[in-house]
Amino acid sequence: MNTNFKPGTCNSGQHLTRRSLIKGMLTTAGGLAVANWGALTHSQTIAAEAKRSGKRCIMLYMEGGASQIDTFDMKLGRPTAGPFRSIKTSASGIDVCEYLPKIAKHADKLAIIRSMRTKSVDHGIGGYHMHTCYPSSEKFPHAEIGAMIAKYCENPESDLPSFIKIGGGSGVYGAGYLGPQYEPLVLADDGKLPGFANPSVSPEIQGRRGELLSFMEHRFAENRSGEPFAAHRSAELRTIRLMRARKAFDVADEWNKARDRYGNTQFGRGCFTAVKLVEAGVPFIEIGQGGWDSHNDNFPVHKANLSVLDPAWASMLQDLQDRGLLQDTLVVWTSEFGRTPAINGQGGRDHFGRAWTVVLAGGGIKGGQHYGASNQDGFEVEDKPVDEGAYFATIYKTMGVDHRAVHYLGARPIWATPKGSEPISELIG
Amino acid sequence: MIKSAGKQSVLVNRVVIGLLVAAACLGPGLVRAQESRLRDTIDREIKAAWEKGKLASPARSTDAVFLRRVYLDLVGMIPSYEETTAFLADSDSQKREKLVDKLLADPRYARQQAQVWDLAMLGRKNKLVDGTVGYRNRGRFRVWLAKQFEANEPWDRIAAKILQAEEDGSQLYLAAYRDSDEMVNAVSRFFLATQIQCAKCHNHPYESWTQKDYHGLSGFFVRTIAVDVPGKPEITNQTGNQYLVGEKTIGEALFSLEEIDPKTKKKMTVPIKPKFLTGDELTEPDPPQDYVEPKLKAGELPPKPAFSRREKFIEWMLAKDNPFFAKAVANRVWAQFLGRGFVHPVDDFNSSNTPSHPELLKAIETELVAHQFDVKWLVREIVNSEIYQAADVGAVTDALPQFYERARIRPLTVEELTASLQIAMGLGVEPALKAEPSKDMLQYLGEPTDGQSRFQGSLSEHLFLHNGEGFRGMCRPNKGNLPEKLVQGTEDWNEKVERMFLSVLSRPVTSEERERFVEYLSTDSKDAKQTAQRMEDAMWVLVSGSEFRFNR
Repeated sequence: MNTNFKPGTCNSGQHLTRRSLIKGMLTTAGGLAVANWGALTHSQTIAAEAKRSGKRCIMLYMEGGASQIDTFDMKLGRPTAGPFRSIKTSASGIDVCEYLPKIAKHADKLAIIRSMRTKSVDHGIGGYHMHTCYPSSEKFPHAEIGAMIAKYCENPESDLPSFIKIGGGSGVYGAGYLGPQYEPLVLADDGKLPGFANPSVSPEIQGRRGELLSFMEHRFAENRSGEPFAAHRSAELRTIRLMRARKAFDVADEWNKARDRYGNTQFGRGCFTAVKLVEAGVPFIEIGQGGWDSHNDNFPVHKANLSVLDPAWASMLQDLQDRGLLQDTLVVWTSEFGRTPAINGQGGRDHFGRAWTVVLAGGGIKGGQHYGASNQDGFEVEDKPVDEGAYFATIYKTMGVDHRAVHYLGARPIWATPKGSEPISELIG
Repeated sequence: MIKSAGKQSVLVNRVVIGLLVAAACLGPGLVRAQESRLRDTIDREIKAAWEKGKLASPARSTDAVFLRRVYLDLVGMIPSYEETTAFLADSDSQKREKLVDKLLADPRYARQQAQVWDLAMLGRKNKLVDGTVGYRNRGRFRVWLAKQFEANEPWDRIAAKILQAEEDGSQLYLAAYRDSDEMVNAVSRFFLATQIQCAKCHNHPYESWTQKDYHGLSGFFVRTIAVDVPGKPEITNQTGNQYLVGEKTIGEALFSLEEIDPKTKKKMTVPIKPKFLTGDELTEPDPPQDYVEPKLKAGELPPKPAFSRREKFIEWMLAKDNPFFAKAVANRVWAQFLGRGFVHPVDDFNSSNTPSHPELLKAIETELVAHQFDVKWLVREIVNSEIYQAADVGAVTDALPQFYERARIRPLTVEELTASLQIAMGLGVEPALKAEPSKDMLQYLGEPTDGQSRFQGSLSEHLFLHNGEGFRGMCRPNKGNLPEKLVQGTEDWNEKVERMFLSVLSRPVTSEERERFVEYLSTDSKDAKQTAQRMEDAMWVLVSGSEFRFNR
């Protein structure tokens, strides 16, 4: 039996390759590594199933909900318009907010979906829905999109984590039924590794004590199949690998040269780190930008946030293009929901799911277009409504992931997107 | 905005709930509960569900597993070496029940309950106006809560005092939720186990809630005001703020309509009358005519109103016929010890989230009310049940098995880890009570679950375990700790390893483990520095593995 916790083998658990880790998890009986993670027991082999597409995805997540009317779906001259003006862009027929001047130059790369109609309009449930494609009320351990893409697009030979969140503020919804090996590594807002990534003991000590730990975990796991134990062991093994790969996260020198372009902000540094990690082969990185929940003072809040977002996002697209990575890297701009067209008594806009906007770029997305439309004042979708299922299916299709991939939790099947979800073919090149 | 489902399903839900209630009232559980101890009712009902579901009954936990479990649950730390050896050697057949009595009378019990309930009420990172409810600024509230548990105040009294927010230390709860919307969400979730914030999309057995119901509830809290004044906020000697809570005489909850006022181009708002969740509007005297709230200086509270809306809410909540309050606490205490509420998650009773064991929930609720909300009595009954004392082994993978067919698995809180490390390293109960989690411990081990009690093995936790001083420093032979005593002691390595396992894992070592650890520790035994390093390694292995990380 090939197990990661086999006693007596030399440095087991300390010098694993990704492949042997996965094999070990697959073939381990009795709940040693991943006990009855339906996804794994029902697949033939991970290697055969995960057709490596070479695709990457960066998700810019506007935590709290960005306003469509003050960014990409402006309602100039209407009662719902705010004070912001619009500017022309590099794509004819596409105007954007005046506080997005740098991203305007990349509009030929953007597919702007202005007809999002989604169901979960509070932060917890909205964040869940827009990360997993399912409502949290189902009370099922759904996997979030980063875990799904990690599973299907990862490079099994790499020590780098396959799912990274920069800034944990947008919430960790987790790998759910896909199993603990696809849980995210959460980095600080600026993309730096958590503390204590440098080994504190010599490789020799780390090796021998790791072996002793493996021995203990093996004994303990023999008749204890609990998921938390498996998650704890998996995290231990992935941590050893992360310590080996830690240099990839050290972008300090290059950041000094890039920071004027990205804007000298934590979010900017996070975006730059994401480009470096994509280049190193990480398949999914989410970067959260906080502070969009503008129930009060919507306009100053948006102006300030856009001034951080604009240079970072634009420089990211430019760098991906310059490095020849944009064709294979999908960049998503999204939130848990949009904001109300109506302006409330505190000069704010509230949560709104009936007609809002997300933006896709790169990864083979056909840029320079609007898709769908909201009506005159922005209260309803007027053309081509897009729900959570279609949005996720489009991302998965772009990434080369079957949007109806089925996994099992015990005997219960669960699909990557709900029945009836279809990718939007007009957006995909 | 989400539309609520039609009236028809409300009706169906009402009928279903009606039937459930009727079944529970007529059911055998209730009748029998009168003539037997609650612990027997618990065992009978849970076992009946196993039989019905054709589930194998679990074995009884071993003494060592029970001992560690009940210490962590009742006093928030593992047993010491002496406590462990004494309990394991005791041949008294009543020793488990006696241990429970001993721990319930231990001063650590009140402290542990205060920590558990404080976290349930305020979370780990709740925002306060001047930062977050961190470990330190919640100390005054914890001390106050511990006093309540120490005196075994009835739960309805504790709840009333938290919402009255008048006793010194009790104010943090309302102060933490300063905005009336936040108070409504927090109070309804915690005390009523009801998620009114989703009133926009939920049906409910009593009525189909609308946004106006939500704002109706806000009316009870909209006049509440919290201020902070300089003070010593907690157990430690740091300076900081303390919080005071008062209530204004006038002020209404406003409801934003979708229509836009043509003049201001903003949403129109209308005031909403206070309304209880059971549907009745509050009848209240008119406020004094032409009353103007006085201008308040920083840190100043308004004069106490002649009529307090918040007091009316408390009266409603604690009234005998309140349909939310008693079952919320019955379910919550059960979940505290068994991991999963009959209704799970514990703060989300709704018509589509039906209880797994409705008769047992009803029986516990009824008995708890009959015992005047005596929480300690309920805890004693629960931990003395066979169900609580079930084994920790088996093929079930769920951390919180649906039918309680194996003990639940929960990660230790950072407070429990901090105290337990002290005990494990032989430093004693006094230092364990004094030790506070470090900033790093809080950051890397403070939030091990996803908020819905699912454990997330995070890489940053393991980076900290590997490379931080928090764990490794404790394991290093130092100043009279157990690792130092062991490297300096003259006993046989076999004896030393036996002591290590009893001290850290609260159980005897197996022969296989003893062999392995003796070999690890006695290699290079001529070299004192190497031996010390190996002792640190071995202790580190014991405290960073799954067996120490979880309570099972």
